[in-house]
Amino acid sequence: MANRNILSLENVTKRFGGLVAVNNVSFNVNEGEILGLIGPNGAGKTTLFNVITGVYKPEHGKVIFKDMDITGKPAHLITRLGIVKTHQIVRPFNEMTVLENAMIGALFGKRAGRISITEARKLAYEMVEFVGLVDKVDELASRLTIREKKLLELARALSAEPELLLLDEALAGLNPKEVSEALELIKRIKEEKELTIIIVEHVMHAVMNIAERIIVLDHGKKIAEGTPTEVANDPNVITAYLGDPKLALRFVKERRISQ
Amino acid sequence: MRSYIASVSYYLKSPTLLFMFLVIVSIVIARIAGLTTLDTLILLMAFLGMAASLNIIMGFAGYVSFGHAVFLGIGGYTYVLLVYFFSPLNSLQHAAGGIGAFMVAIIAGLICAIVAASVGAAVLRLRGAFFAIATLGLNFAVLYIVKGIVPTLNPEQFFAAQVILPARALVHKSLIFNAMVITLTVILLTNYIIKKSRFGMGLIAIKEDEDAAEVLGVPTFKYKTLAFAVSAFFTGIIGALISLNGGGVDEAIFRVGHTIDMIVMIVIGGLGTALGPLVGGLIYYWLYDLLLVHYPGINLMILGVLVALIVLFAPEGVIGILRKYSIGKVKLKDVLE
Repeated sequence: MANRNILSLENVTKRFGGLVAVNNVSFNVNEGEILGLIGPNGAGKTTLFNVITGVYKPEHGKVIFKDMDITGKPAHLITRLGIVKTHQIVRPFNEMTVLENAMIGALFGKRAGRISITEARKLAYEMVEFVGLVDKVDELASRLTIREKKLLELARALSAEPELLLLDEALAGLNPKEVSEALELIKRIKEEKELTIIIVEHVMHAVMNIAERIIVLDHGKKIAEGTPTEVANDPNVITAYLGDPKLALRFVKERRISQ
Repeated sequence: MRSYIASVSYYLKSPTLLFMFLVIVSIVIARIAGLTTLDTLILLMAFLGMAASLNIIMGFAGYVSFGHAVFLGIGGYTYVLLVYFFSPLNSLQHAAGGIGAFMVAIIAGLICAIVAASVGAAVLRLRGAFFAIATLGLNFAVLYIVKGIVPTLNPEQFFAAQVILPARALVHKSLIFNAMVITLTVILLTNYIIKKSRFGMGLIAIKEDEDAAEVLGVPTFKYKTLAFAVSAFFTGIIGALISLNGGGVDEAIFRVGHTIDMIVMIVIGGLGTALGPLVGGLIYYWLYDLLLVHYPGINLMILGVLVALIVLFAPEGVIGILRKYSIGKVKLKDVLE
């Protein structure tokens, strides 16, 4: 099982008019790992997620999921195949309850069309419970706090029973205590649900702490790939992304301490 | 008292029983009521049915089809022209005590569904106000096509786009009444079933956030098109029955006012609720009548102000508000849809 590729990107390029948002990017994702995807604003991280999930069709290149070419397939089919993302800016269905939100995930996820409403409700309830929102289960999504909405995004994504979970800045906007709780949750998701996770994150120490491997994008190009320590010491990364070499070293030390 | 509430909620919970009861009552009414009463009831049910069928695309999926009267028109003209020009259909009309007429109306509805599905492939890519404008454009486009084509079909008999059914093609009002009851019942049941189903949840997700719904696996385009076609199908049947009831059809059937009536009824009753169009339609019809009798001349002005107030202060509509309360231990949310 170890090191089997679950997802491969081959020379993926996505343009918006004259802007090359993602430029000839290739990488593999191993089954069961947590892969960090970092880069400055506008590096193309979210665009890359949108290419993987089928929201955008790339101009060049291929996206291979479990030996199947999924390039340019409609987003809803890719979700059924097992890739689900959470949004950078939370997008709950506001007029639905927490449970109904999660039910949408269950009804249209991996078992779309084969799961009954009752089963979907049960699964959705379990996932809401798993992320710790069970006391808000009948609350309208619009009434939740930002932290709770982020948890709901997770519960909704998990209800789709994905094999590959893409987290787009799941920690942004949370305070330090909430960040560490969320990190625990992500680790728990990976272990208990046996998922592969790609995480895009701005909270640097969080990615350094949680990811086993990191890929760095800058201006749409992949400029580095490796373990957090390797990436943080990479001169390209330091100049392009971190700017300050001392800062980079500090992140690495924090990681060592936390382990 | 408590057992009384429990039994009422039981019957409301099994809408099939309720609707069957409705149908039986209507058959009895059809036997005993006079022609004028029947006529009033047919028109009332046509109103309610229009609102309930528009609710499928507008209430659930959130797409305001502002030219929905186009399907009344297509249904009406299809029905009348089919009966006028195809004599086999003409005899089918009278088969089995008027059930044939209902069959022809269903054919007209199917044609509306086909038109909706093919036009929908284009206009359902537009969102919000652009979709509303595009459907309004469709309404006028079809109206002018009809105005252009119909007079050429039979220049000696058709004046403008008006087609009057020959006397041999007319059926008795009680049969039209029964057909209308069945149509309305099926539309309301369809609303109820959609509301409870995976399809309905997908449509509501589309209304809330279409992009997020697609990423979560909802086949948004397929669902929108299906909802639009189903909505057009029922509206078409009603258009056909209205034309049959009126003994013919003219271009007034495309009136934008019809669509506005439907929208207002849905909003009063509660967007995206299965019972909303029924309740909203009854309230609207009652208000309309009341104001016409007591304040002739300024009735529409008062009605307009009332509707504006409702939209401002109670945007969830009657059902939307009632759902928040409970009688004793029974939550109305579990009873009302």
